[in-house]
Amino acid sequence: MSNTYKWDWGIFLQPVSTGEPANYLDWLLAGLQNTVILALSSSVIALFLGVAMGILRCAPNRWLASIGAIYVAFFRNVPVIVQLFAWYFVVPEILPTSMGTWIKQLPSMTQMMVLSTMCLGLYMAARVCEHIRAGLSTLPRGQLLAATALGLTLSQGYRYVLLPVALRVAIPPLTSELINVFKNSAVVSTIGLLDLSAQSQQLAEYTGQPYESFLAATLIYIVINWIVMIVMHRVERRVQLHGYLGSK
Amino acid sequence: MIEIDNISKRYGTFQVLTECSTNVAKGEVVVVCGPSGSGKSTLVKTINGLEPIDTGDIRVDGQSVGGRRTNLSQLRSKVGMVFQNFELFPHLSVLENLTIAQIKVLKRDKDDATDRGLKYLERVGLKLHAEKYPGQLSGGQQQRAAIARALCMDPICMLFDEPTSALDPEMVSEVLDVMVQLASEGTTMMCVTHEMGFARKVADRVIFMDHGRILEDTSKEEFFGNVAARTDRAKQFLGRILHH
Repeated sequence: MSNTYKWDWGIFLQPVSTGEPANYLDWLLAGLQNTVILALSSSVIALFLGVAMGILRCAPNRWLASIGAIYVAFFRNVPVIVQLFAWYFVVPEILPTSMGTWIKQLPSMTQMMVLSTMCLGLYMAARVCEHIRAGLSTLPRGQLLAATALGLTLSQGYRYVLLPVALRVAIPPLTSELINVFKNSAVVSTIGLLDLSAQSQQLAEYTGQPYESFLAATLIYIVINWIVMIVMHRVERRVQLHGYLGSK
Repeated sequence: MIEIDNISKRYGTFQVLTECSTNVAKGEVVVVCGPSGSGKSTLVKTINGLEPIDTGDIRVDGQSVGGRRTNLSQLRSKVGMVFQNFELFPHLSVLENLTIAQIKVLKRDKDDATDRGLKYLERVGLKLHAEKYPGQLSGGQQQRAAIARALCMDPICMLFDEPTSALDPEMVSEVLDVMVQLASEGTTMMCVTHEMGFARKVADRVIFMDHGRILEDTSKEEFFGNVAARTDRAKQFLGRILHH
């Protein structure tokens, strides 16, 4: 086929064959928009929940620490696609009836978006948790002692002393996670959410030009993650500690 | 000021402190020495509750450290502590290191905290470095900043846990100078240190520890002047460290 394949980059500007007032580029951009919303909103969930779980995992109290450990064991060790199916097919059924009904009456795209965001957010939180734990455990034990010796409480010690440093230490692995979520979000196409990858498949089917369709999606993923890398690198440089881990 | 009454502590099966008792009066400078692993660091850390004790009682300014009604944060804010590895907070400037606990614990307003911070930085000779970060200072400068950080809290006494042990030899004296000055101003101090020169110069009393026990608790004059009367273990220790 590759010998006879007719390249046609013009397809993106052709009106779609469904009769909607749009061209195929609009489809891709709509997919891109869903991918970005999904990735960013699940990252916010992951950051807050992951930091909270990371703190719990390092807690001096064994019960609190085991909450974090169980969370990680559960959400990190199950394939994300299995978790997605669980969220989409099982969760609305086992929630209290009122909540389940509320979710089911949402427009189907919103419903998929909400459930996918929860899925990716909670999955990624388990990974963020581990990065925060690693960040906290690189700090010398004396830092918390010094904070408490000054009269700061345990929570003030975490808030003003340990976390600001641990988060800085965790920026490089968190950057990887942010890149991962943009890529992992493609899994939502399996439940029918029209993200960037789903739209490129659709494009290939409708136009019969799979090479252009998938190359365009590939390029967009590269550009997104290239932007993520640049932004995170700037953040990293901006908050870097003088004469400390990883600084130049 | 500090009353340590028959305290013991163990980590699992390892007995770190065994029935230790001593007092530090207001304005007194007490040096704690002994071989490594003798429990001296643990002893000073029990005073502000950084190391909990199993039995016995410690009172600081009349308040029991382990007491149910004691507000440990408040008590700690009154007891200055200086650590072997400085433990400045790397993400805060030197000045912010000095103001954070004043603002968060003592509820001073930012200007007031800054004024006091600068005053103490000037006292330890670091006013010009106020805006730098700890990683940009030498070890000796960091330790002086750490001393200033403790002083900002208007402590009723100061605890030093081997404050010069992590320093390059040429930086030891700049830190000791600050400590000597504090002692001469009547600051109540308890110092774990191997600097016997410092002990001779400013200590009122010397405590010698080994294997978690206080073996000697005597005046400086007696400790250094009457070596013949010391325990064998103390003689051995002094013999080793005073030769050089």
